[in-house]
Parts: sequence; C-alpha cells; structure tokens
Amino acid sequence: MPTLTYSQAINDALAEEMRRDENVILYGQDVAVWGGIFKVTAGLLEKFGPERVFDTPISESVMVGAGVGAASMGLRPVVELQFADFVITAGDEIFFKAGMWRYMHGGAHTIPLVVRAPSGGSGFGPEHSACPEAFIMHAPGLLCAVPSTPADAKGLLKQAIRLDNPVIYFEHKLLYQMRGEVPDGEALTPFGQAVVRREGEAVTIVAWQDMLRRALAAAERLSQEGIEVEIIDPRTLNPFDRATIIESVKKTGACIVVEEAYRTLGVGAEIGALLLEEALPYLDKPFKRLAIPDVPIPTSQHLVDAIVPSVDDIYRAVKELAD
Amino acid sequence: MNQEQLVRIYKNSVLARRFEARIVELAMAGELPPSLHVGAGQEVAQIAAIEALRPADYILYGHRGVAYMIARGVSLADMLADMAGKEGATSRGKGGVMHVVDVQKGILGESGTLGGSFVVSVGVGMALKRKQPDTVVTYFFGDGTANRGPFHEALNWAAVQKLPCVYFCENNGFAISMPTSRSTAVENIADRAAGYNVPGVVVDGSDPVAVYEVMEQAVARARAGHGPTLIEAKVTRLQGHYVADQQEYRTDRNVVAEKDPLPKLQHTLCDRGMLTQAEVDGIQADADRQVEAAVAAMRAAPLLAPEVALQDVYA
Repeated sequence: MPTLTYSQAINDALAEEMRRDENVILYGQDVAVWGGIFKVTAGLLEKFGPERVFDTPISESVMVGAGVGAASMGLRPVVELQFADFVITAGDEIFFKAGMWRYMHGGAHTIPLVVRAPSGGSGFGPEHSACPEAFIMHAPGLLCAVPSTPADAKGLLKQAIRLDNPVIYFEHKLLYQMRGEVPDGEALTPFGQAVVRREGEAVTIVAWQDMLRRALAAAERLSQEGIEVEIIDPRTLNPFDRATIIESVKKTGACIVVEEAYRTLGVGAEIGALLLEEALPYLDKPFKRLAIPDVPIPTSQHLVDAIVPSVDDIYRAVKELAD
Repeated sequence: MNQEQLVRIYKNSVLARRFEARIVELAMAGELPPSLHVGAGQEVAQIAAIEALRPADYILYGHRGVAYMIARGVSLADMLADMAGKEGATSRGKGGVMHVVDVQKGILGESGTLGGSFVVSVGVGMALKRKQPDTVVTYFFGDGTANRGPFHEALNWAAVQKLPCVYFCENNGFAISMPTSRSTAVENIADRAAGYNVPGVVVDGSDPVAVYEVMEQAVARARAGHGPTLIEAKVTRLQGHYVADQQEYRTDRNVVAEKDPLPKLQHTLCDRGMLTQAEVDGIQADADRQVEAAVAAMRAAPLLAPEVALQDVYA
C-alpha cells in the first residue's frame, strides 16, 4: 500500500473522480493557477484544463451559491472555501441554499455539491482557525465529513463527490502533512460508519482530526500506566454513527469527547445528550467534554495552546475518570 | 413580436390578474394563508419578458406574483395546492406559493431570502454553458434585492465567465415600504451594469413590446456566449407588499390605478383591431373558468400527509 500525505490523498481523490466523471468541476480562490493556498489542488489545472478547474473572485456567497445552482443542473461541483470559517461568511448559501434548496422545492432538485473547508490549526486568528462542524451538524440537509487519516481523506472525498447530497468536507490544516497508508484505486469510505482507532476498557474517547491525534498520543502514555482507553473516530458527523459510541460505552461505562471547537452546544454536547437518552444505564462515570472554553481562537501560539485541548489535558481527564 | 404573441401576453396577464385576485379573496376568507405577494401591475412586464424566451430556457423568479408560472403553463390547481398544503403542491407543502417549481417547464424555483437566487443563477449558467449550450437562464428580481451583496457577487462573476444569464429587474419603486429614492444611491438599477462591464438597459415595464425587444437582445447576447445583460423594467406595484398591507407609507396609492398596464394593453389590442370587445370578454370569462376549475380541484384534493414534512431533505 502506498504511503501518502493527507494533502496528496485529497489531490488524488479529486483527480480520480474528475477522471471518472466529466461532470465534476473544481473551483475556489487561488485553487487553479496557484494550486490553492495550502497547495492541495496543485497540478489539477494542468490535468483537467480551465473549464473544469478554475479560480474565483473573493466572493464566498456566489462560490457556494453557484455550486448549488450548478449541482441542481447536473454538474458535481467541488468548491474550496479557503478557510472553513467561511461557511459562516457564505451562511445563506451553505445553510439555506445547499441545505434547503431541495427541501423547499419539494425534492425537485438534487444537489451533489461538495464544499471543501480547511479547518483548525493556529496562527491564523479568530476568523481563520475554527472547526465549525457543529454548525453543520446542527443544520438539516448538510452531510458532514471529518477525515482524520490520509486513507479517509481520500475515501471520504471520493464518496462525497459521488453522493447526491451536499457535503461539507472539513480537511484539517494541521493534518495536511500527515503521512499514512492509502489503498490503491477504488477505496470509498462509507458515510455514517465510525471506526474504533484503539481498543480498551477504561474510558471511551470520541475525537477526530487533530484531537484524535492528541488522544492517540495520550493513550500511549496511559497505556504505559496500564490504562487502556477506547478511541472512536466518527469520520462523519452527519450521518452520525451513534451505535458504535453506545456499544463502546456499554463496555467502558465512561465517555470523553475531545473537540477543537467551542464547548457550548458543540458536537460533545450532542454526544452527551445522546448518552443521556440512550445509554444512561451504562454510564458509571460523569460524561466529560474537553473543548475550547467558549472564546474565539487567538493568534499567538501560546494563547492557542492555553485553550485548545492538549495531550496533557486528555491524559489528565482520563486519569481523573479512571482513578 | 407578432400579433399572436401580443394577444398571448394579454391572455396570460388577464389570467394572472384574475387568479391572484381570487387567491386574495380566498385568503381574506381564511381559506388560504395570506402568503401571496400580489404581482398586479408587474405581470405584463414579467410575461412579455418570458415571451422572448424559448421553451428550453430556464427561469428563477422573485416573490412578486405567479405570472411567471402562468406564462410557462404551470397548473393553477397545483399552485393553489402549494398554498393550501394539499396533494398536487409543486413543492409538497415545503415552500408554499413562494417556491413553486416545475423543472420540466423551466421553472427552477425561488430563494426565500430576498435576492438569494442571484448566486444560484450563476451556477445554473455555469451548468448550461457546459451541458446545454444555446440555453439561457433569466433571473427576475425586485429593485430592493439589488441592494443585497449577492447581487454584486453574482453580476460580477457571471460577467467574468460570460455566462448565459439575463438579469431582469422589476423596479416598482418600493422595497416593501421604503421608496427606492431613499434606499438606492443610483437613479436606475441598470446604471450599475457599468460596474460589471455588461449592457444595462432601462425599459418601460408597462409596454410589453418594448420589454420583449429588450429581452430578445439580451437573450441573443447570452446565447451567443457574450454574457449577461442587466435589464431594468420600470413597473408599478398596484397593491401592497403583502395581502393585508394598507400601504400607509405610500403617497400615490389613490392614483396608482391609473398606471395599470393591463387596461392600456387591452386598449392597444382593441384599437389596432387585434381583439374585438367580444373576444376580450371571452378571454376574461375563460380566465375565470380556469381559475374556478383550479379552485374546485384544490378543494377536492386531500391535505398532504403529516409524514411529508420529514421527506425531501436528502436525495
């Protein structure tokens, strides 16, 4: 199996799907000639030409809204928003047009649209660093992918492009250079199927993307102390694989959600509510969330480190529960 | 434009006028929700513009009235069902009369947020350019929505890409209650075309022949791959923004009926010998028959089942 970076896996997924289906087009700010500010789409203009890979003005509303219109008329657009935060900038087009155009027209339209949204990271400031997937998970009509490995980056993007529904695909900026094995050829990652990244009995941890990486690092340390945690990567937040989390909690009796997003009404709050509704008898310990304490994400690295859950934070949270 | 076309514009305008009047009656009586934004006074321009399109061309429309749908032959009963939440509703109870859709007839739908379809029209244009060459999309919008950001983003990018889009502004002088003079820095919305390097044309919206000719040029330009045109038809909103709007804010409300384009069109047709008074009477009676048949069909249709609310979110 070849080893690729997360970034190259996304590029490969785009190239393969564009080769397979001529209705797939790719556009966004600086994606064509320059290959994107994170260089994820480098070389695709040369492969597929300017009718299928093109740059756009700094106009997030029309970028996403045009994606809805084009998708409704038979294209399969992949739109790159330069930063995931801009799903709010293009809020009408993301939540009302992509999310509701089909519904409010009684199913007359089908919207096979993918919006790629580079999320997370630090040093970019409050409007360029968020992981706003909870906003998307909250909204009807939008599917939501959060790939955490190069293999899933490719498999989820290929699947997203083939789905007939709008998908907001969050690609984490700090994972772009992560390397991992990626199966050759047709390996699609199904939506709505979480994966257990590490098995254990002590505590269930739900985390994705950079928080998953930190959770796995914390798990290594805990393992040396004889504490084995179970780590679940949801892979998609809509559809959301509730069963895998509940099954794990039945075994561990405890659950921590780690998320790189604001604490209040985040994905962790939804998982907490799910456990209250469907798994309360199995919970032996209080449900826990590690998240950003409801402040915007600052720019300076040491301030970011002060608010984003760290490996130490995860380690300590597990220790508190396990003791 | 030939005589047959002008008569068709008149017929459809009469049908739209009478249909909407009946909807208002039913709304006032409590049988339908008062959700229609009556298009009376603007329907002649709307229908004349659509007359310049081919059947394969597409339409995104604004919220004022149902004349667009009538010009394309959408079933009146289905539109009433849209209002009543009954079987036959084109948007299955999800969008009401504001989101009537009939893709086969080229009616793609409407945005709920005002002017929200500017951006959608750009994508439709992008798809037509690649998949249905020789086909155009026209977006009908009100002057008020031209002050929203999507107008700018869409016009600019459609112009850059030379998309087969036509932008048809119906300027009735009011954004709900606010006169255009207080909301808009330019005298004409079409003046903004210069900012996008596209033709901007002002036309008298009460003159269907003039509207048709302007549209014909814009559509030909779009079809030829030269990009969008911004047309502004000066029209008159004969009634309030919504059914129960008393229009206290309006100083011209006692004289506005004099600007009604429909009697003017009728006189033109009769004066030129294109229609006799008996034919005019026949057209009006026929419109009323169609409307009453649609009302009867709507009344006979069952309500949509509650579970329909859960459907159509995902494909």
